[in-house]
Amino acid sequence: MAGNEVNILRAFYEGVAGLASAYRITLKHLFRKPITEQYPEYKRPLPARSRARIILTRDADGDERCVACFLCSAVCPVSCISMESGEREDGRRYAQWFRINFARCIYCGFCEEACPTLAIQLTPDFEFCQRDILKLVYEKEDLLVDHGGKNAEYDFYKHAGVAVKGDKGTHYQEAAPVNIKTNLP
Amino acid sequence: MPRLTIDDIEIEVPHGTKVIDAAERLGIMIPRFCYHRGLGSVGACRMCAVKFLQGPFKGLQMSCMIDAQDGMVISTTDAEALDFRRHVIEWLMLNHPHDCPVCDEGGHCLLQDMTVSGGHGMRRFSGEKRTYRDQYLGELVQHEMNRCIHCYRCVRFYREFAGYRDLGALQIAQKVYFGRLADGPLESPFAGNLVDLCPTGVYTDKPARFRARRWDLERGPSLCIHCSLGCNTVAGARYREVLRQEARLNEEVNGYFICDLGRYGFAYAGHPERPRSPRIGSQAVGWQEAVAVACDRLARLGPRSIACLSSARASVETLGTLKYLSKRVGSDHFVCFYDAAVKFKMGEIVSKLDGRTAVSLRDIEKADLLIGVGADPINAAPMLALAMRQAQRAGAKVVMMDPRPLFLPCDFEHLSVSPELFDVCLSALVKSTFDRERVGKHGEAAVTLYDRMLSCDPLDASVQARLEPLIAVVEGCRRPIIICGSDIAPASSVSFAADVALLMGEVKDQSGVFYVLPGANAYGAALFDAANGSSFESVVQEIEDGAIKALIVAESDPFRYVADRDRLQRALNKLELLLVLDYLPSETVRKAHIFLPTRAIFETRSSFINQEGRLQVAEKIHSPGTPIWQVSNKGHPPRLYGTGICGGEPRAAWRVLQQIAHTLVHSQNEISENDPWPVIGGECAVLARHHQHNGPLHGLRIIPQTSTAAFFDGDLDLQPKQPMDGHLTLLPVVSTFATEELASYSEIIQRVIGSPCAYLHSDDAERCGLLDCDRIRIAVDDGFLEIDLTVSDKMARGFLILPRHSRFEWQKLHCFAQGLPVEKIGNCTP
Ligand code: SF4
Ligand code: SF4
Ligand code: SF4
Ligand code: FES
Repeated sequence: MAGNEVNILRAFYEGVAGLASAYRITLKHLFRKPITEQYPEYKRPLPARSRARIILTRDADGDERCVACFLCSAVCPVSCISMESGEREDGRRYAQWFRINFARCIYCGFCEEACPTLAIQLTPDFEFCQRDILKLVYEKEDLLVDHGGKNAEYDFYKHAGVAVKGDKGTHYQEAAPVNIKTNLP
Repeated sequence: MPRLTIDDIEIEVPHGTKVIDAAERLGIMIPRFCYHRGLGSVGACRMCAVKFLQGPFKGLQMSCMIDAQDGMVISTTDAEALDFRRHVIEWLMLNHPHDCPVCDEGGHCLLQDMTVSGGHGMRRFSGEKRTYRDQYLGELVQHEMNRCIHCYRCVRFYREFAGYRDLGALQIAQKVYFGRLADGPLESPFAGNLVDLCPTGVYTDKPARFRARRWDLERGPSLCIHCSLGCNTVAGARYREVLRQEARLNEEVNGYFICDLGRYGFAYAGHPERPRSPRIGSQAVGWQEAVAVACDRLARLGPRSIACLSSARASVETLGTLKYLSKRVGSDHFVCFYDAAVKFKMGEIVSKLDGRTAVSLRDIEKADLLIGVGADPINAAPMLALAMRQAQRAGAKVVMMDPRPLFLPCDFEHLSVSPELFDVCLSALVKSTFDRERVGKHGEAAVTLYDRMLSCDPLDASVQARLEPLIAVVEGCRRPIIICGSDIAPASSVSFAADVALLMGEVKDQSGVFYVLPGANAYGAALFDAANGSSFESVVQEIEDGAIKALIVAESDPFRYVADRDRLQRALNKLELLLVLDYLPSETVRKAHIFLPTRAIFETRSSFINQEGRLQVAEKIHSPGTPIWQVSNKGHPPRLYGTGICGGEPRAAWRVLQQIAHTLVHSQNEISENDPWPVIGGECAVLARHHQHNGPLHGLRIIPQTSTAAFFDGDLDLQPKQPMDGHLTLLPVVSTFATEELASYSEIIQRVIGSPCAYLHSDDAERCGLLDCDRIRIAVDDGFLEIDLTVSDKMARGFLILPRHSRFEWQKLHCFAQGLPVEKIGNCTP
């Protein structure tokens, strides 16, 4: 019997305390400075890794990074990336054209993860909706920016080992080319 | 047959099966780099290690080096084996570059697969990587030597299998280099196979460089239709254009490989000038209008005034429906061969190829004697040369009778005799093998023929002397095969070859005749064309007489083949209607009054019958349409949206022909609109038997078991004519890349063909005062023809051999069919 009475008393106390604490918080906030940001008047800086509009970046020399390897288009779960690859005069592999359909893109960031050259990157810029859906189809010239994005220094061709940006043997961690005209060590 | 256990599953395999193959039969793919069933084992890569638990071998062993034996118990997943293989991958990756994103092998690379599946994700080695400089290997194969893992597949194929010497292994130890002594195009017409074979990206497909990843291609089984062998391929298309072709394994036909003509010839289908819309005159019109006008004009002509022309490159579907159409409109003329002699030979060949005489390329590899009669394998059917080499490697003797300065990638005995002597030489070679009694089993005619063979010996002494030792070889052989061309070989030799093959079958273990035919579907064309008296010559004649007023040309370009082009032009001008259906931007297409665009082999399901009577099907790879880069001019594709595909108008020829037939002769009843086979079956009894509900049977021979044709009926040509004094006999011939019709529209092949070159025997050259490498000038009716000359003493005397090169107007020489007076040849060497 006695146990029951104690339980009822505790429940009553908890109920009152709960109500009171809610009122306390409300009261406290009544006298606080508001933290609501007035968008679009105020635009909050987003972390660099936020995922919105996609760009194609350039390496430190200002050359296009993308080598049109088709990895981003392959991994894209909604197939919104398409491109055609070509060979430039200097032997460099590049995208003849590169198209992203942002009307389809779900900003998952898989392309950025797949990209071996760090060319494709998502940026925090999310404000680019359009009434005309065709305007959301971005071509290479719309995507290409003139900076290195999040990893400004990385240069794929300095690691790749193909004879672009210097002869064989001149890149990172490479020995001089084998001389095939002699068997001497 | 040994029984062994692999991963707890028992299997019985034939003797000599490698453990790696035995596992594959169970669906267990043991990792490998150097092993390739077409090339055999070397044990170079150590990737195929498995654990032998019981039996004659114990412990870690290379599964590609050990034959399956009774009582073996093998584990492919043993921890020790897994660990070993993981290390092998890591060693191989020590020097491998970091270039997968710019490597065309990426996506179908064996090394990539093995690295990923072996779990090697992080590089632990911090030392330097070995590097190599690359070489220029011509326009077809791209070289990137850093990627090599030293499996030796390339040189094993190039040197041992294919028999060419200009690519090999250089340097020593861990610096071994695979390449040529110096930059330069690979000499072998089989070099493209390096692209398929190399398990990494050292050799990649140059014309398709960077164009697509394997996963983006629409791929499917296709066929090569550049020669009569019908090698099997896999075609891969992207953005409405075929980009790559690879060899597809067919044990009976091409094996694991194809030649470069087959691999790179496809570009005709994406030719920038390919006509893609129906046309009346020069006006592009819609399909409905074009067909309606064509039907209307045909209907106004009498039944006997229509002729139909197709060719040996057209599919069975096209040929069958055209034949159907020609019958429906009551036409007397259905022609597939431009040359009456070729047509006659084809008739002979079709009637004499049966279960007893026909042999496949695989049989060639197993033969122990190959006798060539007017066949030039490298130029007319390249994969045949590769099969002959395999036979020769296994000990076969190769004897070639041919006036041309033949080249083969194997040792052979060359009897450089004129085509008129083929019968004589063949008789001399084989006659001692038979005795009259055995021949008698084949009836009167056989005995008569045998007697004729016995009676011949008008050979000049030098040939006789070279034949002598060969006779013993023929007597001793067990599996002889006669390889017979259909181009320069006279009709009598073509039919005699089959007779000899049949007779040899009596006394040998196996024998047969392997014909090389003038086109991918020449056999099919002959099936429809054979029982038909008309020839192209008679069609032209009747057009001139005004009897024929309309010509329907389906996938054929007479201008390419007919010698007297002016006469053809005049005849076509007389026509009231020239209706052309094709997929090439050919001269005939340009002259068409009404043109209807058809689909190339990659754009519709189509069947072809190869030279041994094997029916093969090529599947549709992609829908027709102008390749995107042509529409977009290499920029980004147009931002237009609409229905229909740009340039997607071409229709399968059989659909159009069937529609015309049904519009002209109203009877919509029985025939299906979506299946050409009821119509084809109606036109050709052999094919009727061979099609099932869902199309023809792929890969089966349609030849009869025992042909009812009369063997031994041909007359032997044993009295060769003497050539006219002071004259050279002109011999227009084929040449691997330069003479084939479809390839002449392939921009890739055009990059690699050499300039045309004529051949003359050194004695004749001396008589004419000409030297090797001179440029000669031949006076023809309206001017001169110039061509480079090669002087050779490995050819017959009295011949001027000229290629039917697409850059040489050999047709103009038709006026010298009886012989070219030597004074017409001048020297114009600069
Ligand atoms: S993954 Fe990177 S380098 Fe490759 S195509 Fe995409 S953006 Fe270009
Ligand atoms: S080049 Fe390719 S095929 Fe040749 S040894 Fe190296 S990896 Fe093997
Ligand atoms: S041998 Fe003939 S059929 Fe085979 S790939 Fe070469 S051209 Fe094509
Ligand atoms: S596949 Fe067996 S050692 Fe290379």
